[in-house]
Amino acid sequence: MIGFFTGVEAFFTGLSRIHRLLPWILAYLLLLPLPFLLKFGISEYYVDLANRACLFILLSVGLNIVKGFCGQVTVGHIGLYAIGAVTSALLAINYQLPFWVSAPIAILITGLAGIIVGLPSVRLEGAYLALATLGLGESVRIMIAVTPAFGSSTGIMMIPEPKIGEFIFNSFESYYYLVMTCAIIGIYLSFAILRSSTGRAFQAIREDAIAASVAGINVPFYKLLAFVISALYAGLAGALFAHMPPGYLHHNNFTIIEMVTLLLMVVLGGIGNIWGGVIGAIVVTVIYDQTKDYYFYQPLIFGIIMVVMVVFMPHGIGGVVKQAMIKRKFIENQEESRGSA
Amino acid sequence: MEFDFNSLFAFIIFGVTIGVVYGMVALGISLIYSGLDIVHFAHGEIYMFGAFFGLVLAKDMSIPYPAALIGAMILAGLMGMLIERVFYRRLTRSGGGYTVAGMGMIICGFGMSVALMNVAFLIWGADAEPFSIDLGMPLQIADIYIPQSYLLTAVVSFALMGLLHFFLKYTKIGLAVRAVAQNKDIAYLMGINVPVFISLIFGLACALAAAAGVLIGPMQSVQVEMGYLMLMKAFAAAVVGGFGSLPGALLGGILVGIFENLGAAYISPSHKDIYAFLLLILVLMIRPSGLFGIEAKVKA
Repeated sequence: MIGFFTGVEAFFTGLSRIHRLLPWILAYLLLLPLPFLLKFGISEYYVDLANRACLFILLSVGLNIVKGFCGQVTVGHIGLYAIGAVTSALLAINYQLPFWVSAPIAILITGLAGIIVGLPSVRLEGAYLALATLGLGESVRIMIAVTPAFGSSTGIMMIPEPKIGEFIFNSFESYYYLVMTCAIIGIYLSFAILRSSTGRAFQAIREDAIAASVAGINVPFYKLLAFVISALYAGLAGALFAHMPPGYLHHNNFTIIEMVTLLLMVVLGGIGNIWGGVIGAIVVTVIYDQTKDYYFYQPLIFGIIMVVMVVFMPHGIGGVVKQAMIKRKFIENQEESRGSA
Repeated sequence: MEFDFNSLFAFIIFGVTIGVVYGMVALGISLIYSGLDIVHFAHGEIYMFGAFFGLVLAKDMSIPYPAALIGAMILAGLMGMLIERVFYRRLTRSGGGYTVAGMGMIICGFGMSVALMNVAFLIWGADAEPFSIDLGMPLQIADIYIPQSYLLTAVVSFALMGLLHFFLKYTKIGLAVRAVAQNKDIAYLMGINVPVFISLIFGLACALAAAAGVLIGPMQSVQVEMGYLMLMKAFAAAVVGGFGSLPGALLGGILVGIFENLGAAYISPSHKDIYAFLLLILVLMIRPSGLFGIEAKVKA
C-alpha cells in the first residue's frame, strides 16, 4: 500500500520535472471518464455523489488553508458556505443573472464575509476564536432560517442551472465537469499558495505568531488573508451547490451537523495536509452516503470517529501515510548507502 | 407601540431568571476552563442530559422534584467525571495549549457533543417532552404575574451558586481546587492530587449544568436539541463576564438574559437567538477579557 503511494508520488514528481502543470493535466484527464464509468457501471446516483464529494473537497481544502496552514481555529466555515449559496441563488432568481455573473458576485461577497469572520482572529486566540466564529456561522444559519427573503422554512426553489450559450449544465454528468474542474483548480491553487511566500507566512504564524511578527510578517494582515482565501473557496463551493440540479436550497443544509462533518473531513485527512483533506472529503462523503440507512446512528458514529481520531491519530490518515513514506525512503536511503559502502 | 413600564419590568424579570440559568451553565464552563485550560464544547449536551435525568427521575420514577434535582446533579456529575477520565485526561496529557493539540480538544468537544446528542435522541426520541410540576398560582407583584417556577429557579440557582462560592472560598478542598486552577505544577508540589481534583472540577461543572437543565425544564419543555443553543448562550455569558471568572459568569448570564428578552420584545422576536451571539461577538472584539475587567488568561 505504502509502496503504491511512493510509486505514485515518484511518478508525479518525474512528470512535474517536465512541466509544472503536467501532473495536474494528467489527473484531470484521468478523471474525465469517471461519470460515465459510474453511470453505466453502478448508477446515475453515484455521479451526484461524486459531485457532492467535489464540493466538499473544495470546502475542506479551503478550510485547510485557514486551519492547517495558518493554525486559526474556525468553526463558522459552514456559514460562509451558506452565504455563498444563498447569495448566488437569490441573484439568479431575483435579478435573472446568469451563473457566470451571480457566482463571482457571491464569491466576492463571501470573501467580504470572510473578513468579518476573520476580524476576531486579530485579537483572539484558540478557543475564543472558535467561539466567535461558531457564533457568526450559527447567526448566518438562524438569519436564513427566520428571514422569508432568504427562503426561511420553505427553502429556495427553482434555482436556474448554469449554461454556456445553448448548453445547459442540467444533468449530473455535465455538472460533474463543472465541479470537478473547480475542485482540481482549487487543489492546485492551494498547493500554489502553500509554496508561495504567503503560504510560508501562514505557516510561520501557525508555528509562532510572535516570532513571525518579529520576522517582519504582518500577522493581522496574513491572518485576515487566510480567512478571506478560505472564504473564497467556501463561496465558490456554495455557489456551485446552489445551482446544482435540482436547484434547491434549505437552511438545514448548513447546520452544526454539516459543520461537524466538514471538521471530520479535515481531521480524518490530517490537519494541514492538502491531500489528506481531499481524501477525507471523499471518504466522509462516501461513508455518509453509504450509512444513510442507519440515519439515526450517523451523528453518533461520526462523533465517535472524530473523538477517537483526535485522541489516537492526531495527524489523520494523511499524516500516517506521510510518516510511512518518509520512513520507507529513509530505509531505502540507508540500504543504498550501505550497498555502496 | 406605546411604552409600558410594567411590561418592560416583566421582560427584565424574565430575562434575569433565564439569565441566572445561563449563568449556571456558564459557571460550569468557566470552572472547566480555569481548571483544565480547555473549553468544553459538549457542555450543552451535559445540560440536556441533566434535564432528561431530572425528567426521568421526577416523572417516571415519581421522585419529588427537589430530590430529582439532586439526583440529576449527581448522575450528570458522574457522567462528566467519566468523560473527563476517558477522553480529556488523555488529551491534556498529550499537551494543552491551542496548538494543533489544542485544536484537537475543540474538535473532540464537537464530536462528543454530536455523539451525546445522538445518544439522547436514541434513548428519548426527538419529541419535546413537557416537564410540568405543580407549584401553585403565579405570584402577583403590582400588575405583573410571575410564575412560581421562575421564582424557584432564581432562588435555587442563587442558593447553588452561593454554596459553590462558599465551598471554593472557605473549605480546604475548595482551596485545593483554586490552587489547581492557579497552577497545576505547584499544586502538585503542595501535595495535591491534581488529577483527582480535575475530575472533581469537571464533575462539579457538570452537576451545575444538570441543575440548570432540571430548573429550566418546567419553563420550557425538555428536548434533545436544547443543549446546543444553551451552550452558545452560556458561552456568551461566560465571555461577557470574563472567561474563568466565577462571579463574572453569573453577571454575564443575567446580562445576556436581559439583552435577549428585551431584543425579542422590542426589535424582533423571531431573531431572538441571534442577540446573544451578537453580544458575544461584540464583547469578544471590543473587550475580550470581559466586561467586568478580570484579567483573562491569555496564551500567546
